[in-house]
Amino acid sequence: MFITLLKRELMLARRNWVAVLIPLFFFIMVVSLFPFAVSPEAEFLRQIAPGVIWVSALLATLLSLDFFYRGDYQDGSLEQLLIMSSPTQVALSKVVAHWLVTGLPLVLVSPLLAGLMHLNYSPDGILLERGHTPIMMFSLLLGTPSLCLLGAIGMSLSLGASRNGMLVAVMILPLYVPILIFGSAVITASLGNSGYNAQLAILAAILLFALTLTPFAIGRALKVAVS
Amino acid sequence: MSSKQSEPSSYSSSCLEVKGLTISRNEQVLLENIDLSFTSGSITHLFGENGAGKTSLMRALAGLLNHDSGQICWRGFKTSHPEANFSQDLLFLAHNLAMKSELTIAENLQFYTDLRGKSVSRSEIQTVASELRIESLLERHFAELSAGQQHKVSLSRLVLESAKLWVLDEPFVNLDARTRDWLSDKMMNFAKKGGVVIFTSHQAIDGLKIHQKVSLTHKDRNEQSEAAA
Repeated sequence: MFITLLKRELMLARRNWVAVLIPLFFFIMVVSLFPFAVSPEAEFLRQIAPGVIWVSALLATLLSLDFFYRGDYQDGSLEQLLIMSSPTQVALSKVVAHWLVTGLPLVLVSPLLAGLMHLNYSPDGILLERGHTPIMMFSLLLGTPSLCLLGAIGMSLSLGASRNGMLVAVMILPLYVPILIFGSAVITASLGNSGYNAQLAILAAILLFALTLTPFAIGRALKVAVS
Repeated sequence: MSSKQSEPSSYSSSCLEVKGLTISRNEQVLLENIDLSFTSGSITHLFGENGAGKTSLMRALAGLLNHDSGQICWRGFKTSHPEANFSQDLLFLAHNLAMKSELTIAENLQFYTDLRGKSVSRSEIQTVASELRIESLLERHFAELSAGQQHKVSLSRLVLESAKLWVLDEPFVNLDARTRDWLSDKMMNFAKKGGVVIFTSHQAIDGLKIHQKVSLTHKDRNEQSEAAA
């Protein structure tokens, strides 16, 4: 049943590929605005890169949430899904699909931005043999699923309310703070050539924690939304 | 998954039992202490003026709306109990048709049958579609159809999915005479095979044999009008 639900979500995403790709372009655009707005100086960009990349990834995830929840709520499909299968399964299928079509592409496209932010150069401007790109991608790989899971709670809770886009942001951004701190700390530590295993472990712990508990919260919130 | 035909009539006494049900919406009691029983093979017409709580009762039956007190049992088990298998037995058609506009008709219908774990062949879908005269539209996107055609698509779920309880909110609205007859026929056939039908309608339906009529009245309408005066 989970596979049926997941296939449906992915099929809907494929039919609406424009809506699905917009957050990805948003991510690229926001990051590339910084060299224009702040300073194109390599050393400076390298220093702000962890924060810029993570904040942009976080906003892109928030932006993409709406598509996966609002449509089903409005046309009554959500009611049918909740009647015919368990709320937890519905929740999990939506989160997995959401991550596959927005979180994962974000991770895959991030090396491009790493180049833009000079992550692969040493402070003296020498191209590094092993840049900081892989570790940045790994931090995003561990962090973006948590962003999807937590965002889904806020999205489901706000389905019944109007003007929910802003509401979700206000509700969820505080919860994103730990992920943001440790996500960018991984890259910062890597840039400073210090150990980053602890930060990665905490990111992984947040992900496991979110993965085991949030599906129940999301399912419950979806139930409340249709009642 | 058992088919409709193999439905045993052993629980003919009462399939769906509602005891002491109280529902409130927005802090106001809508239905109070309702007792209803729906036997296997019966068609029940729920009626009452707008706002009397027909839709709320249906949504409570479907488990979408929480009730304050009372219980709803399906075959002797609470509907939320896994043993009742209620989620697989229930087919609830609401006002909104719950079809995705970006999928084709066939894809929409296929999804719902998949979700019931029932494999439906292409020809089965085609048969229903031709009965409803929408067979030429199967590959069209749902959004391209007229309102009446969209309604027909939603109705074809009744035939394709092997549910045992139909809860239909205003199924006859917006239908042409031919489709109305088709739906009455399907409802009577379904009841004959032991299914349970509960539907709402503001008009009497010609040719439909109804076994039970339930009238819902606004619980405290008099008090309300007094308060308003």
